[in-house]
Amino acid sequence: MSDLNQTAVTPVASTPTPQSKQIGKYRVEVIREKCISAASCVAIAPLVFDLDEEGIARVISQDGNDDETKLLAAQSCPTAAIIVTDTETGKQVWPL
Amino acid sequence: MQPPKQYTAKLEEKIEFNSKYTQYDFELLEPNVMEFLAGQYVSVKVSEAGERRSYSICSSPAVQHGFQLLVDLEPQGVGAKFLQNLTFGDSINFLGPLGRFVLQDDFSLLPGKLPETVLPEEAIVLIATGSGIAPFRSMALELLQERKDTRPIILHWGMRHAEQLFWEYEFAELMEAFPNFKFHPVVSQPIAGWSLCSGRVTDCLQVHAQPKNAGYYLCGNETMVQEVSQVLTTQGVQLENIHHEKFY
Repeated sequence: MSDLNQTAVTPVASTPTPQSKQIGKYRVEVIREKCISAASCVAIAPLVFDLDEEGIARVISQDGNDDETKLLAAQSCPTAAIIVTDTETGKQVWPL
Repeated sequence: MQPPKQYTAKLEEKIEFNSKYTQYDFELLEPNVMEFLAGQYVSVKVSEAGERRSYSICSSPAVQHGFQLLVDLEPQGVGAKFLQNLTFGDSINFLGPLGRFVLQDDFSLLPGKLPETVLPEEAIVLIATGSGIAPFRSMALELLQERKDTRPIILHWGMRHAEQLFWEYEFAELMEAFPNFKFHPVVSQPIAGWSLCSGRVTDCLQVHAQPKNAGYYLCGNETMVQEVSQVLTTQGVQLENIHHEKFY
């Protein structure tokens, strides 16, 4: 996938919430209702994702891991509970 | 435990148990060693577009140069078709190991936050339907063959038809070798002569007495998990002692 080779660019301003934060090139968002606490995102990108008190994934940081790692973390989710959006194009990168 | 990473592996063997269930054996290529915990899964890239499907590892964690997957091919989704089309020597890309559906004894080895209390379990009860058996084969092999665990370990496995069962001889051999291990297959549509448990796995649970202070591990579809949890809590099992894989 060509997306994996793209690098982060200037961060875009955002209004962060516990479930949705905007990042450099890729914005990641957790669909709370779909999360089953498998924590694969936490295992792959521990500086971007964390589990809250209920064991549900949340975004904790914009720049802890690079875009490739964030995309991998999203792809590893067995329920596709993480949406990745390219903030340059506005297109959803994941899920396909 | 090392964090999950990307691997490549090649198909080494394919065992078609029946039209529904097939076991896939993979040999790791790069990296060529993977440390994982019984109950964890891998996320396999199943299309050029990058689609992925998650499959529980059904082999023993003691084998680190490869792994086995059990796949229900009947749904014929993108993952099943990808695996069906693999020929010997074909390589796959996957992420692993992933998941937190592991034995409570292993919980401290997982990355991230831990639950506030990890309860000691004096017995282990594994309850599966269909392909939900996959993580439990890994757990049983790890507990019995590797750790020589002497706690009671009981495996309940529900299937629709007796002819769909597989690994039953392996489980029978484990029962012979390890007296603390019990295997209870249960078939919902038995043919004449089936002498073991009939009905649903919940029926089987009500027939056999449950050990005290056990940890219960459930793997099946959502309805199964709900119904089994309800039966167990009715029998006095605390919710804290019931663990289940959620992506089946």
